[in-house]
Amino acid sequence: MSAERSKVTLVVDGVEVTADDGAMLVDAAKEGDVEIPVFCYEPKLGGPVGACRMCLVEIEGIPKLQTACSTPVRDGMVVYTRTDRVIESQSAVVEFLLVNHPLDCPVCDKGGECPLQDIAMGWGPGRSRMTEPKRHFRKPMPLSPLVRIDRERCILCYRCVRFSQDVAEDEQLQLLERGASSHVGTFDDHPYIAPFHGNIIELCPVGALTAEAYRFRARPWDIEDSGSVCTLCPSQCNVMFTVRDEHVQRVLARDNDDVDAGWLCDKGRFGFQMITSEERIVEPRVGGSRAGWEAALDAVAERLRSAGERTAAIVGGQTSNEEGYLIQRLLRGALGSANITSVDELEAGLARRLAAPELGAAVPDLDAAESILVVGTDPLNSIPILDLRIRRAIRQGRARLVVASERPTALDGGAEETARYAPGDAAGFLAALAAELGNRRQAGAGTPGRAADEVPGDGSDWAEGARRIAGELRPGKTVIVYGERLGRGPGGDSALASLLECARALDLATAGAGVIGVPEGANGRGLREVGCLPGAGPGFAEAPAGRGLDRIKQGLLDGELDAVVLVHADPIRNLPDGPGWAEALRRARTVIAVSAFDDASTETADIVFPAESYAEKEGTVTHPDGRLQRLRPAVPHPGNVHPIWQVLAELGARLGHETGIGSVPEAVATIAAEVPFYAGITPEEIGGRGVRWQERPAASAVAELAAVPPEQRTSRTNLDRDDSGTLTADRLRLGTYPALWADEITDRNVALRFLAPAQTVELAPSDGERLGLASGDEVEVRSNGTGVRARVALNERMRPGAVFLIEATAAENANALPAELNVEVIKP
Amino acid sequence: MPETRVLFRDIDAPGLATIQGYRDRGGYGALKRALHELEPDELLSSLEDSGLRGRGGAGFSMGKKGSFLPRGEMEKYLCCNADESEPGAFKDRELMQKNPHQLIEGCAIASLAVGATYAFVFIRGEYWEIADILDRAVGEAYDAGYLGADILDTGVRVELIVHRGAGAYICGEETALLDALEGKRGNPRLKPPFPAIQGLYGGPTLINNVETLSNVPHIVNNGADWFKGFGSEQSTGTKVVSVSGCVQRPGNYEIELGIPSREIIYGLAGGPPKGRRVKAWFPGGSSAPVLTEADLDLPYTFEDLAKAGSMLGSGSIIVADDTISIPELALRTARFYHHESCGKCTPCREGTNWTTKMLDRVVRGEATPMDLEIIAGVQEKIIGHCLCVLGDSMAMPVGSMVAKFRDEFEATIEAAREAGHGALDHSPLDRPLTTGAQAA
Amino acid sequence: MRPTDELTAAERRELIASMRPEDAEGVPALGELDVPAALREQIETAMARYPQLRSAAIPALWAVQRHYGWCTPQGVREAAAVMGVTPAYLEAVATFYDLIATSPIGRHRILVCHNISCWMNGADELLGAFCDAAGADRDDADQHGASSADGEFFVKGFECLGACDIAPMASIDQRYYGPLEAADAVAAIEALRDGEEPLSDKALALRPAAGGPDPSATERAPDAEGHDA
Repeated sequence: MSAERSKVTLVVDGVEVTADDGAMLVDAAKEGDVEIPVFCYEPKLGGPVGACRMCLVEIEGIPKLQTACSTPVRDGMVVYTRTDRVIESQSAVVEFLLVNHPLDCPVCDKGGECPLQDIAMGWGPGRSRMTEPKRHFRKPMPLSPLVRIDRERCILCYRCVRFSQDVAEDEQLQLLERGASSHVGTFDDHPYIAPFHGNIIELCPVGALTAEAYRFRARPWDIEDSGSVCTLCPSQCNVMFTVRDEHVQRVLARDNDDVDAGWLCDKGRFGFQMITSEERIVEPRVGGSRAGWEAALDAVAERLRSAGERTAAIVGGQTSNEEGYLIQRLLRGALGSANITSVDELEAGLARRLAAPELGAAVPDLDAAESILVVGTDPLNSIPILDLRIRRAIRQGRARLVVASERPTALDGGAEETARYAPGDAAGFLAALAAELGNRRQAGAGTPGRAADEVPGDGSDWAEGARRIAGELRPGKTVIVYGERLGRGPGGDSALASLLECARALDLATAGAGVIGVPEGANGRGLREVGCLPGAGPGFAEAPAGRGLDRIKQGLLDGELDAVVLVHADPIRNLPDGPGWAEALRRARTVIAVSAFDDASTETADIVFPAESYAEKEGTVTHPDGRLQRLRPAVPHPGNVHPIWQVLAELGARLGHETGIGSVPEAVATIAAEVPFYAGITPEEIGGRGVRWQERPAASAVAELAAVPPEQRTSRTNLDRDDSGTLTADRLRLGTYPALWADEITDRNVALRFLAPAQTVELAPSDGERLGLASGDEVEVRSNGTGVRARVALNERMRPGAVFLIEATAAENANALPAELNVEVIKP
Repeated sequence: MPETRVLFRDIDAPGLATIQGYRDRGGYGALKRALHELEPDELLSSLEDSGLRGRGGAGFSMGKKGSFLPRGEMEKYLCCNADESEPGAFKDRELMQKNPHQLIEGCAIASLAVGATYAFVFIRGEYWEIADILDRAVGEAYDAGYLGADILDTGVRVELIVHRGAGAYICGEETALLDALEGKRGNPRLKPPFPAIQGLYGGPTLINNVETLSNVPHIVNNGADWFKGFGSEQSTGTKVVSVSGCVQRPGNYEIELGIPSREIIYGLAGGPPKGRRVKAWFPGGSSAPVLTEADLDLPYTFEDLAKAGSMLGSGSIIVADDTISIPELALRTARFYHHESCGKCTPCREGTNWTTKMLDRVVRGEATPMDLEIIAGVQEKIIGHCLCVLGDSMAMPVGSMVAKFRDEFEATIEAAREAGHGALDHSPLDRPLTTGAQAA
Repeated sequence: MRPTDELTAAERRELIASMRPEDAEGVPALGELDVPAALREQIETAMARYPQLRSAAIPALWAVQRHYGWCTPQGVREAAAVMGVTPAYLEAVATFYDLIATSPIGRHRILVCHNISCWMNGADELLGAFCDAAGADRDDADQHGASSADGEFFVKGFECLGACDIAPMASIDQRYYGPLEAADAVAAIEALRDGEEPLSDKALALRPAAGGPDPSATERAPDAEGHDA
């Protein structure tokens, strides 16, 4: 994207080195195999601070020693890193750093992988003249239930504090006091609990911040590193599993600037305990009893054979491309059923158009965008690592952010404008936005535009919000991050069609601009692209229409479907109308579940196959921006768990549909042959960093994706607004949202359970006042005779008239309410 | 030798601190002249021609510093450094207390010169009553139209805000001052970027000391040549020197640079009490390496003091006579910098802390001559390695004391050894340095 | 030397069990706090003065300290809510500066300079005299400051206050007095107890320039008035 930076030549310790112009000396020196020691320097945290003074070097022509971390290279620069003066400064800084360090390496978790240890060995004086008492703190204190702090070991490099201030921007972790009394702490000793706080452990160059879960678990020589991708959410961060004795002990970031910029959220970092959970399903079960694989496969094959085209399958977001491909092939090829979908189903035509390669933005495009529109999603909840990415883009002053959503988002504070539409009104708002943007485009072209408030239909305040939002968006320089949830419900197709219109009006089909859709499931995009979509086969190929989620449920209830296969999917908990799903699964003649844990849906299953965890899986996934990434097994399968791709291939064979797939690379090759825009892709090409299919030559072969004619312009007036009702004292419009910590991952990891939110109903303060409710009140949210108990939280940024509940909580799940827009909030 | 009063002219005249009293003596005439008769570039070159060097310690040409600010339409700032906290310095306090309008006028003119719309006077929080005086004077200046959105109906905007610090010596370091003014902890910043390019709120910023800015109206009124008529070729103008410690008439004296130091210490400040002799003196605040009685005839200039291995700094002389224990003086000096170190960079944070602990042992009689080697060695390891000058500010005077008064340090150690550790009970530092968050 | 104070396993477990996500201190919601109107107004006025609102951090902390006597956690939280920052941010600022108290202190604040010039002129004795008169612990006073048992006084040995000309000196309730003797300490404490202005004859404000109010100095400066329009 950006032009190649010009190169400069300098001399470091007598070696000629070529480096990028503007690179910091410390990085440039590496080109000449010269290591300059650092502690505080960490480019991920922003600009250099020059605090630790470890990297002092001598530069010809400059009398004072300079910090290599903050000195940009210049052509012809002559640098010395091992002169007597420099060596003296290095040994001085090490000696100073150890003045108050306890030197407790034998009992320190960092021992063996500690920069302080390494640098003290490599650059230190080897002895200390310090005989004074060192400073003491109570230790090791829990900073949060997940992180412990040993302030005596701290060398005050500021990295953790800078992370909290300048990256996560939660500003909870601070340096307190001054001078030699400085220490890292929080307000009034409150815990530091924030969604990304685990990153400070990895940033710490000493053993001051340690993971509760990793303390005293392993030494570096006991462990192996295994690189893979986290599939616990659509961020798909690149991770490094620390494995000891075939168990995952730790998850570290495997920096990939194209994906995660080197950060992990706490779910990705600490959510590995479930891999070794005792509660895992580790062998097949038929009719509730343990069974061997042969028996289980026979049982399933027999039932599916009899169900035939009356079978449906629902694929969850943790499913890999290979698994997704094979399950759709099982249905379409072996059973003649088109009823295959994922939790991220979209109307096939829209899915196709949204996947157009020139319309897709890459994650790094956020860094250079002039404006960013976040619409219909809260990245913090749905794709956390993009929350950090967007914050960085704003902080660096390049991007102006606007947020349009039904519920307040974590990014609102950094937004130039926010528009808040009512739950279920996304389609109306986006239609108004598309009209406004279209008008501006026309006006720009010299044609007087129609004002947005002339949009037919009840625009309410959409036009006003649309005007404010549109005013901030720069044509050709905008990245839109949208929630694929916008496609849900009666107005969903219309909402996404309007989004496409917005993209067109903004000229987003250009380099550096575009859209990124945020799916619900980690591999939502990949699953659609390999054919887990009713009405479109692999590569969005034309395919017979099948049933989507709602019609699968209806089919099971009506008896029109006999069997349903759930792969990594728990519709009762995670989909709207959980009770409806429960009833549907109870009525189904056959329920087959592939799951790692027992849940409400597996309870209804006749046959259960144990699922692999993401650390055991081999295969590929596709990032929301189109980057194919490789999953590599880090640990062996526990118990009698088999690879799911193998199970699905075997099932196909038993049903007479031989796929010829005998390995994951063969599965990848088969997908590459069937999905035109993945053509020729191999695991080797994907490698450790992944590859965006839009940036491969094969992408051009599918330009017709974009050329698929849009369906007739979506009418804005036919939106189903009948049930919007009128606001009365006790009728409110309900919206639900996925909260970061409300899911089975939180529940399955003991260490994370404290984060699971109790059900909370959010209201605007004016509604709270009208209903006599205060924050903290216990209430019941009722709809059509069903109720969910929740605690009230008044939120000034909520839109009056709207209430929000959390989806997929372990108890009092909002999905337990019928799919109704209007609710009452009642004080028992 | 008498004083030469320019800034201190009529310093105790009744009413000088009021706008009327100031105007009665020609006050705000320079601002009018700067507004109506001079272009910003003329102002800057006149300041540069005058040779006015910064009075805060570094001694850099004020006009030149101002010329580093980029021209053009962007928000620029002026910061007046009134965080006077260097031990021995108290000249800015008296200037602000007794002639606040002289400073306000200087700030306004300097703002015009560099095109700043916001000027801040960062005054240390301890100077509360002085800040009250300044605030009152600023209010008067606003009412009279010398400050505000449209000063003297010329359409020029200069806002002046008196910002009170909250007690941290490091905020006198110009980049720490900026961080403090931005509402952060007052940590020094890495340079470059220099404040002239990227300072307050990321905008170009001129930072000058109170005394420097107080000179500005006089230069505008009387011209650069007039100013150069005072002082020496390299050190033009007058200088307010704060003299304190073991002298009979401590206080601020406005002198021409170049007079012998002895004239200041003895002639103006009266020297040590009868029967005592000067043992050591800091010529430029406590961060200057100490000089001895033998150095008293040095001309008091930036250059001569530098040649003698010390510095003029902010022009604050502290005199220690022969009743003063140099090891204890070293401890007081080190303790100050230990207390005031911001903690951001390693050599300063740990070096001041370590040095203080060692000197404390010397004073308590728990040290050995080998510790002196370490004390001297640690100072060398601090110098030139820190982010800002604070670490050096301890290392240089402490190093100089150990070097020049080695015999006294050794004698102190030996005497304490013979006395059997008698001083253990009442040292102020006999407990580890702790903070609230540390173990009770 | 004091041994490291290790947390016991039981203490640790109890501490961890007590930590809940909602205990993390983000930016407090203004609506959830009952911020005293006067305090809020002072902070908002400060915020409006500066081009960027965070510059009001120190003025806000001064306001909290004036309102509550010291920067109480509740006061800091209130200021944070008004400013839209985290309380941790303000605590980091507050603990950096010597004049902001983050634990309770006595009503009258007496800062006795114990830096070089004052020390050479008897600051240690003066500090002792203030401690004795006020009933504050001498050693604590020299370290972090000490309050009297009755909560009336806070005495602290302070680094250079910038008034070496009146050494030894003290700042009493933000006004400077000096040079002082031990007897002045007793008188000052008595006056404060009686609600009177202390040591009015020793106030810095009264002190003429050292060279005398009527200078014998040469006057080479031409009249500024010459240029006055």
